[in-house]
Amino acid sequence: MFRTRAAVLGKKKHNFITRLIQWTFDGLYNTVCQVIPDQKWARKVAPLCITLFFFIVAQYWLGLLPIVGPITIGEHHTPLFRGGVADLNMTFGLAIVTIVAAQIYAFKYLGFKGNLGRYFVNPLRDPIMSFVGILELVAEFSRMLGLSFRLFGNVLAGEILLAIIAYMTKFLSPVALQPFYFFELFIGGIQAYIFFMLSTVFISLGLAHHDSHEPIDEVHSSVETNKLATSDSD
Amino acid sequence: MEKILTQFANSGASEKAGLFDSLGIDWALLAFQTVAFLILLFVLRKFVYPPMMEMLVKREKDLKAADAAAKSAKENADKAEEMTAEIMRKARAQASDIVASAREEATEVVEEAAKKATAKSEALIKEAHNTIAQEIENAKKDLHNSTLELVAEATGKVLGEKIDAKKDTKLISEALEEAE
Repeated sequence: MFRTRAAVLGKKKHNFITRLIQWTFDGLYNTVCQVIPDQKWARKVAPLCITLFFFIVAQYWLGLLPIVGPITIGEHHTPLFRGGVADLNMTFGLAIVTIVAAQIYAFKYLGFKGNLGRYFVNPLRDPIMSFVGILELVAEFSRMLGLSFRLFGNVLAGEILLAIIAYMTKFLSPVALQPFYFFELFIGGIQAYIFFMLSTVFISLGLAHHDSHEPIDEVHSSVETNKLATSDSD
Repeated sequence: MEKILTQFANSGASEKAGLFDSLGIDWALLAFQTVAFLILLFVLRKFVYPPMMEMLVKREKDLKAADAAAKSAKENADKAEEMTAEIMRKARAQASDIVASAREEATEVVEEAAKKATAKSEALIKEAHNTIAQEIENAKKDLHNSTLELVAEATGKVLGEKIDAKKDTKLISEALEEAE
């Protein structure tokens, strides 16, 4: 990342890696700007989401290195190196950071009362929205769990897949594992992008006005966004 | 790997363990890893992302400027095309006018030349007629004189006397008087 920064500043020449990182950064930044139409807030939110992507993809790919995992120490065979996102603590921590950041941004954007108004509505005034608000509050926790367990589950499944293929193919494993390594590289990118996209959408939910007088198109788009957010548990 | 594969089984076996312990959540490790991520986020946000974002913003501005320049150039090109079309239209009109006037002038020149040629030919014919008439007149005179000479010569031969000019004149005069 620092090498890319130096290349962007013109202190060093670009190479394939810096161009790839810059291209990825460009794409991710544009995605954030599309999800969050307010460019001022998009600039604020983008660093967190983009860091999540690069962090997860790096951790995922580093976990595929042969030295990560099999080399153990101690009586309990504790791995010397572990892929960061192969640990539920890490993915759970990332999910907590995302949801807490979403709340902080929502408080800044909507104000204290405005953000609480998303969850707590006077039941005498609007009983249906009051119930929906409670569901929203529950959804915030379910999103946190969904984010962390999805990523952890995929990494765990990938490691188990590689271990099973290596066990089944024995001495042929160096050859037999190659397609699965490529598959895992691909899955790592996909999972990082999913985490990035969902984080962006969750944060954008707190940056949208929940007004009863909003135009039909905006209502439709916010419903679509909510659908995307609720389908994250797939 | 063994720990990962067995952590759920081990934690599930412990009935006293809580939900998070069962899932393998270690709050201290979680906090440590979260802080590590936040430090990374801080460093990247402070030192790496600003120039990259500036570059993107600058590129977007450049693209907009280039787009505006392209639109302006296209408008200028359209204007130039319209001007060219207008100039071409005027030039064609002028050319057709010039051709038309040239044709008129050419027709006039041809007509004038034809008139001059006609007049010249008529003058030539008239002159030829005069010349012919003059020559006929001269020929008549010559014939008359020759006839007179022949008549005089024949008369001289008949009379046996050479008639000279004086006598000839006298005889003619007498003949004329008699004829009167």
